[in-house]
Amino acid sequence: MSKLTALRRFGARLAMGLATATVLSTAPASAETKLDIVWMGWAEEMVKPLMDWFEQENPDIKLNYQRIPYNELLSSLEVRLGARTPEPDIYSADASLTASYAARGHLMDLTPHFKDQLDRFDGAALQAASYQGKMYAGPFATSTQLMYVNVDLFKAAGVELPGTDIKDRWTWEQVLEAAKKIAKPQDNVWGILLEQSDRPYQLLPLMQSKGAKVVSDDGLTATGYVDGDKFVEATQFYGDLFGANKVSPPGLFELNLVQEVFHTGRAAMMVGGTWNLDRLKAGAKFEWIAVPHPYFEGGTPVTSTGSWQIGINPRTKNPEAALKFMDFFMRDDVQVKWFNLRPYPPVLKANWGNLSDKLSGQPWEIARYELQNTAMPRPPIPGFREYEEILKLAFRDIQQGAPAKERLTQAAREIDRELAKYK
Amino acid sequence: MNNRQKRAAASFLRYAVLALVAVVMIAPIVWIAISSLRPPEEIFLYSPQLSWRTFVPEKIIWSNYEMLLASDFPKAVLNTAFVAFVTVALGILICSAAGFAFAVFDFPFKNALFVVVIITFIMPFESIVVPLYIMVRGLNWNDTYFALIMPEVASGFIIFLFRQFFAKVSRELFEAARVDGASWWRIYWDVALPLSWPTVVAGALMMFIHQWDAFFWPLVAATSQDLTMVQVAIARYLQFEQADFGRLFAAMTVASLLAILPFMALQRYYIRTIIDSGFK
Amino acid sequence: MRINPAYYFLAPAVLGLTVFKLIPIGIAVVGSFYGTSLMGESVFRGIENYRSILSDPDLLSSLGITLLFNLIANPLQVVLSLAAALLVFRPGPLIGLFRSVLFVPVTLSLVLTALIWNLLFDPFLGPVNAILEAVGVGRQGFFKDEAQAMGSMVWLATWRGVGYWMLFMLAGLYAIPESLHEAAKIDGASWWQRFRHITLPLMRRPIGFVLVAATAINMLFFAPVYVITAGGPNGATDFIMFRIYQTAFNYIDVGRALAMSTVMLVVVLLVALVELRLLRSED
Repeated sequence: MSKLTALRRFGARLAMGLATATVLSTAPASAETKLDIVWMGWAEEMVKPLMDWFEQENPDIKLNYQRIPYNELLSSLEVRLGARTPEPDIYSADASLTASYAARGHLMDLTPHFKDQLDRFDGAALQAASYQGKMYAGPFATSTQLMYVNVDLFKAAGVELPGTDIKDRWTWEQVLEAAKKIAKPQDNVWGILLEQSDRPYQLLPLMQSKGAKVVSDDGLTATGYVDGDKFVEATQFYGDLFGANKVSPPGLFELNLVQEVFHTGRAAMMVGGTWNLDRLKAGAKFEWIAVPHPYFEGGTPVTSTGSWQIGINPRTKNPEAALKFMDFFMRDDVQVKWFNLRPYPPVLKANWGNLSDKLSGQPWEIARYELQNTAMPRPPIPGFREYEEILKLAFRDIQQGAPAKERLTQAAREIDRELAKYK
Repeated sequence: MNNRQKRAAASFLRYAVLALVAVVMIAPIVWIAISSLRPPEEIFLYSPQLSWRTFVPEKIIWSNYEMLLASDFPKAVLNTAFVAFVTVALGILICSAAGFAFAVFDFPFKNALFVVVIITFIMPFESIVVPLYIMVRGLNWNDTYFALIMPEVASGFIIFLFRQFFAKVSRELFEAARVDGASWWRIYWDVALPLSWPTVVAGALMMFIHQWDAFFWPLVAATSQDLTMVQVAIARYLQFEQADFGRLFAAMTVASLLAILPFMALQRYYIRTIIDSGFK
Repeated sequence: MRINPAYYFLAPAVLGLTVFKLIPIGIAVVGSFYGTSLMGESVFRGIENYRSILSDPDLLSSLGITLLFNLIANPLQVVLSLAAALLVFRPGPLIGLFRSVLFVPVTLSLVLTALIWNLLFDPFLGPVNAILEAVGVGRQGFFKDEAQAMGSMVWLATWRGVGYWMLFMLAGLYAIPESLHEAAKIDGASWWQRFRHITLPLMRRPIGFVLVAATAINMLFFAPVYVITAGGPNGATDFIMFRIYQTAFNYIDVGRALAMSTVMLVVVLLVALVELRLLRSED
């Protein structure tokens, strides 16, 4: 029976496959230390050079690093840290989650290790890496926001361009006025884009520019803050960009699609991260400039900041190797190389000087000014993940027509419920 | 209309419907494939307004595929193929045996056990991932092929599948074989399985696709680069701060073309296997 | 004493299911009665998690949305996959090719399927809207429109589901002896009569499998919600599984997430058993 023969052959192959699996899974034990690392999903060519460099300098330490895209990075870390195992030894910690990880015992206190070098770090970045006065993570990158302007669309509509100098900073009211003149929603041409159009990272500065306080001092109450008058007022302005004023495309939440709308020349302005500079410089099909982040008339300029940090799992079995890794990545020359791989604004003060050839002139002068003067880290509350997620869903709904006041009141109630566990 | 005309009309209708459905099924992948050949700034340039450029790239570039070949993507494909192959081989064997038991024998608590089998495939994976991870770590399997393969071998879905389909094969056939002195093992191996090739194919493809799609579990349980699975490799092109759509689309196109191969290879087993005399 | 041979056949599968599914499920169900302190210790909460979720009106609306989706998507997928299988079941020129084309959507994971349709349906960048505009239908919101989001989810799930479930419908069709059809033809039965009185009754078990399996998968429908809508717009796609995911991984309240999972386990099991009972064949 030929089918039977086929099945027997199948069985033989299966046995072989299993044998292979056994061989592959029992790699020879070695004396070298192996560090298990969970890393943000930057492209391999931005990650490998640094990891290789470290291994070269530390031949006794082998790095087993895993690059994971952002959303899955957070959820797979929840599983692995939640299991409270010694692995991963090291992980990329989102700057907004320092307090969350620290409060739950997932970050090693680095204060004793870095106590003599604290002044090397940029103030806002160090603040983002700290919780209750202790330093819990090594700052690895920071971020700031610029407003990118499509000069061609401005000229075609005969609208005056914003200035590139800090003192020429536009108000949101000016932005809206220009956007209204340029936007043609029926032709898929838009006035103003917010790159991360549903994320508190990008949106809280609007509320803060109005003077709103976004959460209580103890970080446990949102009611009275998230649904406070100024917060609602700023959110209403945001909602109207998509609704009443029709200058922004509603429902476009994926940041990389928002970028596509701008980079294909379909929007006059976009508030976004410095990572857009690479693509614009590489070949924009239109003339562009970058100008300072807007603020509300009568309010104060506030910009988002914070980005990536390196954290050590306090349960690691290899604390010495992990600290060696940390020291290596906090070195000036390593972070210079990192900037050349991916140009986040530096977190080491010295690197503004070391990189002066690249960071002088516009728009980096603006970026530097914002980081030193207007940058406001996200509130350092242990429940920021919950806060952020719930607000994100509210912003999405408001963008798509939900009334701001009611939706924010609901969100505040939900946030309070989730924050209760940190009391 | 005579019979021949009727048959011709039916055949025409059949192909017309098939052609229409085929277009709907394949158009999205074709769009992805075409976009993967465009330079990055062109991918979304022509998509929102219909013109012939929506379908025909201005300039064709192969760099996305060259980069894909040079990356760890080919290795991820091999890994996944290996994991899927072993899972299917073991899984079909084990699950068809269990399905056979449900279809042929009577034993105490049979219905209760069947309910338990159903329970195993209706609990969301996200709810059992933490205990599973702790267990796999306890077995010292984390970061090995075992972690990727073993939890998926016994599948409630596939047991259920074989239970449903074996039950169709007449019990009389098995009992006749029993009278002839065949052992139950022989009956399962020489009668039940060969009579169920289409079911084996369907089950094998279901298990294959399950492993081909594996994403969250490999992220958690098999972290070293040597064990990267294909969906993880694809997802990396969708970074947070900016996406690399060209490479992402190239990876999706290749992954899709590769995953159709097992189907094309196995579909010749979609044949009538029940010998008429054996069926009531 | 002779051991029932059934146990030999069952043993490997039962062992695998017990270790990798039942024990973790057991731990999860027990966990639904606990909370976790900040430092990871379990704290017994009794039925507090259940009281909290069952008194939450949002959870009920979420359950309703999930059931509505199943009421539309499951019968649709069963009917269309059976129709697809009937179309490619009998040999003919190019049939193998058509069969493969119907299978193509299955080769993309549900996450990638969601990604593609999100791009295709995008109101501002997507080619589908370009076509609709050109033929005069006008641009649609699809996933971004409160009234169309659910329908778009059904479309997405069915686009991928038809080829998938066709696999099993084909397996069922090939198990129907040709002689039955031949005999009926000689008796002058029409195509419909043969389908109604021969094919359909003999397809009960395959249809039962597809219906129950589709229910199990669609009740836990998640990836596209996560990738595209995050439950919106305004709650239109607030599927229960998205809520479970949010609670476990973003709100970091594992106990409550496990209580929701356990409730869902019971609901889906009941639905599956009812479906099996309804489709039980007389053999």
